[in-house]
Amino acid sequence: MTTAINIDDVSMTYTTGKVSNHVLDRISYEVQEHDFVSIVGPSGVGKTTLLRLLTGLMPPTSGKIVIDGKAISGPPEGLAVVLQDYTRSLMPWLNVEKNLAMPLKRLKVPRAEMKVRIDEALEEVGLGGQNKRYPWQLSGGMQQRVSIARALATRPKILVMDEPFASVDAQTRFSLEDLVLKIRADYGITTLMVTHDIDEAVYLSDHIIVLHGKPAKVSDLVTVDLPFPRSQVQTRNDHRFAALRTRVYEQVQGLASTEPEGA
Amino acid sequence: MTLNLNNRFVRFFIGAWVPVLIIYIWWTWSATSGNPYFPPLSEIWAMFQYLWIFDNVPTNLVPTLQNLFVGLALGITLGVLIGAHLGLSRYATRMFMPIIDFIRSIPAIAKVPVFIIFFGIDSVMRIAVITFVVMFPVMVATIQAVRSTDETLIDTARAFKLSNFQILWQVRLPSASPQLFAAFQLAVQIAFLVAIAAEILGAGFGLGAFTKIAQDSFLIVEMWTGVILIGLVGYALFLAFEIVERYVLRWYYGAKKIDA
Repeated sequence: MTTAINIDDVSMTYTTGKVSNHVLDRISYEVQEHDFVSIVGPSGVGKTTLLRLLTGLMPPTSGKIVIDGKAISGPPEGLAVVLQDYTRSLMPWLNVEKNLAMPLKRLKVPRAEMKVRIDEALEEVGLGGQNKRYPWQLSGGMQQRVSIARALATRPKILVMDEPFASVDAQTRFSLEDLVLKIRADYGITTLMVTHDIDEAVYLSDHIIVLHGKPAKVSDLVTVDLPFPRSQVQTRNDHRFAALRTRVYEQVQGLASTEPEGA
Repeated sequence: MTLNLNNRFVRFFIGAWVPVLIIYIWWTWSATSGNPYFPPLSEIWAMFQYLWIFDNVPTNLVPTLQNLFVGLALGITLGVLIGAHLGLSRYATRMFMPIIDFIRSIPAIAKVPVFIIFFGIDSVMRIAVITFVVMFPVMVATIQAVRSTDETLIDTARAFKLSNFQILWQVRLPSASPQLFAAFQLAVQIAFLVAIAAEILGAGFGLGAFTKIAQDSFLIVEMWTGVILIGLVGYALFLAFEIVERYVLRWYYGAKKIDA
């Protein structure tokens, strides 16, 4: 196994004037290639802060994030993002295919290949043939699919998602979760996802990082050994699923005993 | 029975009958007018055909429109370019805003004499003054527009490694296009006002000059044809602008319709 992302002793303190807010305290974790890792924690714990550090949108106060053997100093090459608020992350003046083309143009993908990649990515997310529609002509779930397709079309090595399904209804959420599992099975992209939904984290992940406290530390690392392929009905009824979600829930709430867990 | 306003023909006829009525009233009431200042509309119409279809078009209408379009294009381009770069720097905005606001506060017509001093009264002066008066409102709108872009859109673009320059042209300016178009519309109005005013103040040729000279020479019927033509040109500009705006901002109006 190779390390895809090395989160190395990362701390973050926001300073505005004389007020400083210590959000993350010495977070370390190594994300292995092809793994699906979720970051969970109570709201306001600093999940999104950690995600912004991972995407290089801002630098940590101390520590470093190493991708491909280099400490990043900005958004790294080969990383794609899907943000929570799809209504504000797709460009409303561009149709679906032009939204997908925007990062590809930056990558200088030749025109013919661009077309192939866009069609393939839209097909993958179940939106084949919707190239010419505008975001506002699509439902919330479909817009989030476009956002995922835009990330896929860049052929990323790492996919980072911030609460990707927080703004859609429950039914749509389940189908988007299954879409993410399918993408994972098809492409094996290393994926990091921030979520406040514990069930979702257990359902999708190989590993879960639980953040807790103020400033936030890693309070638990949970390995999800549920078999693939997973399904909304069977996996969620598995007694191991229940045990894992209980464990994560207690950690998120800070209810867990300090005793080390038995085997 | 209620009229269906969604039908474009219904809309057209509702909007059309009032002007038709006014023209009819004007035509009949002025028919026997002996007042030299309010000649019969029939006389004005005859003179209009004689003058403007199309003898005076190349000498008096074309130059006005040429200056207007060249000045508008230059002013909008400069306004957007300068505004976009000033807007991205908080220091630059702070530094230049007071002087921009001061120059903006001088009514557009009052700027014309200054330009006559520098550029004389020919086309160069007219284009220069239109460019200048158009530039400021566009610049101010652009400064505000590029500063108010949604942070999520910018984060998305940054995460996909677009450069600041690409983010300006591909994210900030397009996302501000509804506000920019509102400024462009204002720019068209000011440009037309100043185009005519510059011709009236610095007489020579052009629609404004023609109307002013006719008035000074007591050619009242000719003057009326000038005023009416200025109105028609202004209205045509307004309609043309709306068509362009509706087309360019179709994404915006489409999204708004869904929200409503």
